[in-house]
Amino acid sequence: MDPQLTEVSQQFERFKAAFVRKDYSTCSDLLSRLKVLLTKFTSLPPLFENTPNAAHELTLARDIYEHAVVLSVKTEDQDAFERDFFQLKPYYVDARNRLPPSPQENLILGLNLLRLLVQNRIAEFHTELELLSSATLDNPCIKHAVELEQSFMEGAYNRVLSARQTAPDATYVYFMDLLAKTIRDEIAGCSEKAYDYVSISDARQMLLFSSDQELLAYVNEEHREWEVKEGFVVFQKAKETAPCKEIPSLQLINQTLSYARELERIV
Amino acid sequence: MAAAMVSSAGGLLAMLNEPQPTLKHHALSHLNNLVDRFWPEISTSVPIIESLYEDEEFDLHQRQLAALLVSKVFYYLGELNDSLSYALGAGSLFDVSEDTDYVHTLLAKAIDEYALLRSKAVESSEMVDIDPRLEAIVERMLGKCITDGKYQQAMGIALECRRLDKLEEAITKSDNVEGTLTYCIGVSHSFVNRREYRHEVLSLLVEVYQKLPSPDYLSICQCLMFLDEPQGVATILEKLLRSESKDDALLALQIAFDLVENEHQAFLLSVRDRLPAPKTRPVEAAQAVETTATSNENPSGDVQMADETPAQTIVHETDPVDATYAERLTKIKGILSGETSIQLTLQFLYSHNKSDLLILKTIKQSVEMRNSVCHSATIYANAIMHAGTTVDTFLRENLDWLSRATNWAKFSATAGLGVIHRGHLQQGRSLMAPYLPQGGAGGGGSPYSEGGALYALGLIHANHGEGIKQFLRDSLRSTNVEVIQHGACLGLGLSALGTADEEIYDDVKSVLYTDSAVAGEAAGISMGLLLVGTATEKASEMLAYAHETQHEKIIRGLALGIALTVYGREEGADTLIEQMTRDQDPIIRYGGMYALALAYCGTANNKAIRQLLHFAVSDVSDDVRRTAVLALGFVLYSDPEQTPRIVSLLSESYNPHVRYGAALAVGISCAGTGLSEAISLLEPLTSDVVDFVRQGALIAMAMVMVQISEASDSRVGTFRRQLEKIILDKHEDTMSKMGAILASGILDAGGRNVTIRLLSKTKHDKVTAVIGLAVFSQFWYWYPLIYFISLAFSPTAFIGLNYDLKVPKFEFMSHAKPSLFEYPKPTTVPTSNTAAKLPTAVLSTSVKAKARAKKEAEQKANAEKASGAEKSVSESGSGKGKESSDKEGDSMQVDSTATVEKKAVEPEAAFEILVNPARVVPAQEKYIKLLEDSRYVPVKLAPSGFVLLKDLREHEPEVLSLTDAPTSTASPATGAAAATQGTTASAMAVDDEPQPPQAFEYAS
Repeated sequence: MDPQLTEVSQQFERFKAAFVRKDYSTCSDLLSRLKVLLTKFTSLPPLFENTPNAAHELTLARDIYEHAVVLSVKTEDQDAFERDFFQLKPYYVDARNRLPPSPQENLILGLNLLRLLVQNRIAEFHTELELLSSATLDNPCIKHAVELEQSFMEGAYNRVLSARQTAPDATYVYFMDLLAKTIRDEIAGCSEKAYDYVSISDARQMLLFSSDQELLAYVNEEHREWEVKEGFVVFQKAKETAPCKEIPSLQLINQTLSYARELERIV
Repeated sequence: MAAAMVSSAGGLLAMLNEPQPTLKHHALSHLNNLVDRFWPEISTSVPIIESLYEDEEFDLHQRQLAALLVSKVFYYLGELNDSLSYALGAGSLFDVSEDTDYVHTLLAKAIDEYALLRSKAVESSEMVDIDPRLEAIVERMLGKCITDGKYQQAMGIALECRRLDKLEEAITKSDNVEGTLTYCIGVSHSFVNRREYRHEVLSLLVEVYQKLPSPDYLSICQCLMFLDEPQGVATILEKLLRSESKDDALLALQIAFDLVENEHQAFLLSVRDRLPAPKTRPVEAAQAVETTATSNENPSGDVQMADETPAQTIVHETDPVDATYAERLTKIKGILSGETSIQLTLQFLYSHNKSDLLILKTIKQSVEMRNSVCHSATIYANAIMHAGTTVDTFLRENLDWLSRATNWAKFSATAGLGVIHRGHLQQGRSLMAPYLPQGGAGGGGSPYSEGGALYALGLIHANHGEGIKQFLRDSLRSTNVEVIQHGACLGLGLSALGTADEEIYDDVKSVLYTDSAVAGEAAGISMGLLLVGTATEKASEMLAYAHETQHEKIIRGLALGIALTVYGREEGADTLIEQMTRDQDPIIRYGGMYALALAYCGTANNKAIRQLLHFAVSDVSDDVRRTAVLALGFVLYSDPEQTPRIVSLLSESYNPHVRYGAALAVGISCAGTGLSEAISLLEPLTSDVVDFVRQGALIAMAMVMVQISEASDSRVGTFRRQLEKIILDKHEDTMSKMGAILASGILDAGGRNVTIRLLSKTKHDKVTAVIGLAVFSQFWYWYPLIYFISLAFSPTAFIGLNYDLKVPKFEFMSHAKPSLFEYPKPTTVPTSNTAAKLPTAVLSTSVKAKARAKKEAEQKANAEKASGAEKSVSESGSGKGKESSDKEGDSMQVDSTATVEKKAVEPEAAFEILVNPARVVPAQEKYIKLLEDSRYVPVKLAPSGFVLLKDLREHEPEVLSLTDAPTSTASPATGAAAATQGTTASAMAVDDEPQPPQAFEYAS
């Protein structure tokens, strides 16, 4: 067996051990070392060379990245999630005919969809969706994300919030929490546009807060421009609209006339 | 298993955000390979990669890699500027030898950028910061070109970037230095637009040339001429002349001939003056020099070339080495002064004259007597047809008819003699004597013929007026008749062309200040001719007077004169041009157009073309517009294919003046080329609705078609018939009729042995020719200026010369069908009754002579075939010289006539044998081949012009073909002329020169 491969496998075992222990800082260290080691394998994307151990190496690398994605969820690091997911993706997409499908695949894909939803990147969400086969769409992980998005779009925010309980995997919970916040931001954005002011109780109801204190804290943190006075939340709408640009009609007329003159002179 | 590929660069892009540098590096290097496919994906991440490039902590290689990646992405995005700046950051990773579109595009961009910066730095003379990295890339590219053996590319880049050091390196490292140098000279002429820079390049080339083990002196001297360094040429010539070897001497003579061809009189004279006088035997040497010296200062203007021989023979006995040197020196001085070539040309044109008198006769008969315009047009046509041939039979036979010319028509009739006798330096003055103003004021002749005679003298001595200047000055001073002053001014200007002689200038200026319209106009032109290409301050003096005077004629003369002074100065003339083109007076603006044309003549400079086109469509004066279009012809003549394309739109203008200008522009720039597009453009114009447009188009067409045979373009025949039709048509407008008459003159110019050529064979501008056409185009205002076209004529001949500058018998081959380049067939007597009834006394003789000649020729042809080899041996006796050459002459005719006859019977031969000297038209040049077992070998491989021949069998006696007896080789037409004047013919056989025709008087 290839010594490098052995080394990677050993490190990976240690990583998994640490992962089970929930010792996430050790995990990150090990992971970064693993990633460096992986760059040495030419069978991995983007080269896909046909080395004798190709299948094994690919499987191992995919495993590592899958763990990395899950780890990033555990450590609540969205950037890392994105990075790792993109590095993992070629193993799903391009190496599909070289490897047996991974049991984790749908879970990870669903997580990613959820992430996009949380970050309110709807366009990318749909792009990802388009790339999936119809069979995959029926998978509970994916289906969950798709339904969430539908509710989200319809404005059925209560359904979104209740979906937290039906999450197919424990890792989803983190994103579901985040999603609640996204929804709140969405509602806040809409109210801003829709009303000049709202009474505090209405605002609390709309923004799905359980108490006025929470609402005030939220206003303080996220929307400093809102004003709370006399039992109302006043939205400082940026009403200023740029005035219409004036058409420089005189200049245009002059220009056209001079063109006509020039044309007359030519030939 | 199919080669799997990644479907997205997303993974790698994500890796760029990883904290570890190793991973980033890994991602970068892979992305760099995938960028060709995934640049759209990568382009969104460009900011990240840019920040990697700018990250100081990153190691250098990675930063360069990042830069290269960004550069590639920008390249795909079409942002070449950004791409280039990042490619520069990539340093050595940017591989110039890579064969990809990216590298090619960026290299081109880099070189462009660099060239732009370099030329900006040089031209604005301020420090421009050039990125050293940019310079490094260009240098890497140059280095690569040189190592790959792509020297031409390397030279092109080096020239463009003004890196003379690299240019030199490319030339010296190339495997074929000679070839590279030649290429480089060509490139520098056609692509280097700025004059000063071209000079720098040329001086570098000269330097390189001189470092070669066997320098190519021919090319060096050409370069030196461009650089205007007579001393350098003189030194080379002297070295060659001093050499033991006869070959070197031949080379020196060849160089001299080549220099003369470029017609740079002032330069040639200074070379001549710098050549040392032979030293050893003061008496003889002085005598030898004196012959040339006196011949130049001889007040009578007649040069006695024969004097050289006795002086040489005496020297010969004393000291052989110095004697040969002295002899060679005399020869070369003779050549440099232009006399040798003029004399030989004259002999050639005389002996090969093939002009068709019947054409003239038809014109004469069809032209209405009272119509003076057509009458003088016929005289002009005759002069042009016989330019330089010294054949004035037509005038002689029609003295009565000629006498109808009065006043200015008489002036031009007399001046026409000058065109006919052009180059007849030896006897020019005695020829014109009867018409010249006699000493004292009480001359009996009409002032018009006297003025014409002075103008004629100028035409005879054009550009070689050493001997005649003094006489013309005296005539100018001693008269105060406008007409004579007019003639004398033109004559002086012509003979002292480009010499910038102060005294003459002052004389002419005093005429100008008399403020007489007729004399002043000529004075203005004359001043311009005198100062051609000097760009002196005198131009502003002239401009000031042009503003002062009331006479339009004077203003016009001065405007043209000022334009002449800036000939070939390119950017140097810009201030003056600016001043003139912004003037209130349309006539000065009109001069400004000429100034643009002449300053940028033959450069195809874009700026000049743009300016001219602007004036052509925007000026309010028709004259200025017409001239602006016409001027395009001068700017573009080095690239004739361009002109029809550029003026094609203008030739369809609603304004007839613009159409006229377009026609002449094509005529000027495509003169003598027979270019098909040019003819197609002119054809519709010859039947324009406006008469003067037809005139211009006919003249232009004739200029384009000169010496093109019907076999190579059938439209030539159509055109000839069209001319005939216009001339015979009673209802045709006078203007177009005149155009047709002139056109038929130009079409058969110089006895059908000359063409209009504005570039010499070495692609240099011929000053005289360009100036000649420029002044010729003035004929719109002043008909006598038509004669200036004769300056643009250059004989199409191959003239081989031996060491003694004699023309030996020498055969060579033209590897093409003879009919392609033959003379047009002489016109036959028209079948219509009117023409046949008219008395044609001379015609019958000429026809008889022709028939006789043909019969003789046939016999001789047979004889010659049998005895071909023996001939040179049997006829070697010097006493039989005349007889033998007599036969040579006939055999030459055999070549031309016999082939014509043969053609009718059997399929045409694929080649013809030509005998030195022979007519070789420009299109024929590429077919000229030497026979393998020939006795003579040319010093330089040239298909036409003067070529020095090396004799491989020196000890055998030579057979000379031309010099001894020009009469025997005369064409049927001249033969007929000789028959009518028996006495002259016999005299000619004795004399070295064709006898001057007897003087004739006007009947009036």
